[in-house]
Amino acid sequence: MEYLDAANLQSRELNKLLKQKLQKNKELKLKNPHSLHNIGIGLEMGEVIIEGNTGFYAGGFLNGANLTIEANAGWYTGDNMMAGEITIKKNAGCNLAVYQSGGTIVVHGNVGSRLGYGMKGGTTIVCGSAGMWAGQMILGGRLIVLGEVGREVGESMYKGVIYLKDKAVEAKLGGNVFIDDLNKEEIKEINQLFSHYGINEEASKLQALRPLTSGRHQYELFEIDLQAEEARKYSSKSLEELL
Amino acid sequence: MKRKKAKDVQRGIWNKETLSAIDNKASSGKHRIRGCGSTRAMPNFDDIVVLPSQLTRMSIDTYREKCDTRTTLGSRSAKKPLVIETPIMISGMSYGALSKEAKIALAKATAKTGTVISNGEGGLLKEELQNSYRQSIQILPSRFGFSKDNIDAADMLEFLVGIGAKPGLSGHLMGEKITEEIAEFRQLPVGIDLHSHPRHGDALGADDMVVKMDQIRQLTNDEVPIFMKIAAGRVKDDVKIAAKVGVDGIIIDGAQGGTGAAPVMASDHLGIPTMPALVQAVKTLEEANLKEEVDIIISGGIKDGADLAKAIAMGADAVAIGTAAMVAMGCRVCLQCHLGRCGFGIGTQDKKQRENLDIDQAAQKVANFIKGMTNEAVLLAKAAGKTKLKNLEREDLRAINTEASAVTGIPLIGTDYVFSESFGYF
Repeated sequence: MEYLDAANLQSRELNKLLKQKLQKNKELKLKNPHSLHNIGIGLEMGEVIIEGNTGFYAGGFLNGANLTIEANAGWYTGDNMMAGEITIKKNAGCNLAVYQSGGTIVVHGNVGSRLGYGMKGGTTIVCGSAGMWAGQMILGGRLIVLGEVGREVGESMYKGVIYLKDKAVEAKLGGNVFIDDLNKEEIKEINQLFSHYGINEEASKLQALRPLTSGRHQYELFEIDLQAEEARKYSSKSLEELL
Repeated sequence: MKRKKAKDVQRGIWNKETLSAIDNKASSGKHRIRGCGSTRAMPNFDDIVVLPSQLTRMSIDTYREKCDTRTTLGSRSAKKPLVIETPIMISGMSYGALSKEAKIALAKATAKTGTVISNGEGGLLKEELQNSYRQSIQILPSRFGFSKDNIDAADMLEFLVGIGAKPGLSGHLMGEKITEEIAEFRQLPVGIDLHSHPRHGDALGADDMVVKMDQIRQLTNDEVPIFMKIAAGRVKDDVKIAAKVGVDGIIIDGAQGGTGAAPVMASDHLGIPTMPALVQAVKTLEEANLKEEVDIIISGGIKDGADLAKAIAMGADAVAIGTAAMVAMGCRVCLQCHLGRCGFGIGTQDKKQRENLDIDQAAQKVANFIKGMTNEAVLLAKAAGKTKLKNLEREDLRAINTEASAVTGIPLIGTDYVFSESFGYF
């Protein structure tokens, strides 16, 4: 397998080289990425194994290539991804899979907050835990989190589904979602995914989070909450005194 | 002296509008949503006049001599800058807020006049792309219908941060307009009230945007000009940051900007008007020595050739029109866009009402309007002695009242005084 040393390269030069080399080689190994931003954006084919940490936007707009990050990934990894695969062996930062519209992302460690913000399609599997606001305002696709999730999970999701193993999820739900069981087909599909990516887990242990879209005005949006009764304690006189 | 009867007394601030606003809140407990943006009176380009050429310079013949309006945008770092025949772009109005017919008509109008149309929030309509002369693609926080394919189709990209009608808020599209067609296009459930994403999920701060900008440049092979659309607020800071992020130009949307649906509160009380925003943007870029590099497109209530000429004289490179183009198609600014019942077939998704808009006729009217507006601006420019529209300069302007003078730094008519910080040419 051919090695490419990124130690002295800017992301621009690196991406050009990657594109050129992947025309000939099917596989490439990338040494010394040193958390460079924008690694492997928009790649359409081939397989790249990155032996180190990546910075922001690794695999952004990925369009068919296969990316493996052997260490940690920075923020916005897999943003606007369209097709292909990203595997992250350790942890990922915030906003993983933001606006993802296709392909698959697998994270073996934990991820930060806002996982899959505005996601439109594809699949993202997080084997560890995810931070707060996971799956906020998603328009499609599926998110799978096998560890714990943070608060406000699935806030205002329009479409799509979030599968969770966290048993305490009820206390962390965002607005406009409900907890549901998986149907047989979903269990089958997800078990297939697990075996394909070598994840030792069973889909029937998961719960599904789905959007409430039963009609207009069902969206629970921010409402002003004026608590007049609560405020009485700040009054200098009690009600009895006044009367 | 006869005493006035109570019914004849003017009610001052307690006018019909105030009463209606209070009634509305009293019954709903919510803020009011309305289309078309703000209806408030604000300082605007009508408070400025252009100085004609007399003995100091020679006038250019209105009827026989040429005045160039061709405009190049985004040449700071894009390899393929956008060249349009007149500095009037059609600003981003979404398919969803507007009907498919209206979008096609606007696109056809750009083909007739050689200018650019922006796609707006709802994704890129195939028919719009096929019919437009040049296509601008907005990158919005919601990314409805957005993908790499859109970037490939773009002649210009707009990284949208905010719009003048509701700066700091996200897009609204009321349930009446989310028909099956629109829902499919945007990947949404049918008939929900949409309050779209408020922030870019893939660039939370200005420092991230620097990296994001590099990403988009790489994806476009550095060919496509990238603009940033910001609502006018802290213009000085925003323009500096946008320039540092590395954009080719900035689209500044003033508080008079229109929209399909916005809280009245946001339209009327958020952001500063178009003209002062332009002045501050130009000043800021000049101070940073970037005026020649970073282009400015100004929008928000631009309605005729005078606005265009004065905006260009103040330092804009182009203007963007929205409401004015809709009015050219037949819109009468009824402020009810959000209800989706537009009888002219413009701001509606209702099949029957959409039939009311004749696409070719509407396209011709918008094209005529853009041509007429260009004509008006050229008339002023020639009278001021210019053979190129962009040669208009601040020195050719005067303010007709102290407010406009104070806001713009342009001298008051009949004086050489500037009633604030000067614009820097005396």
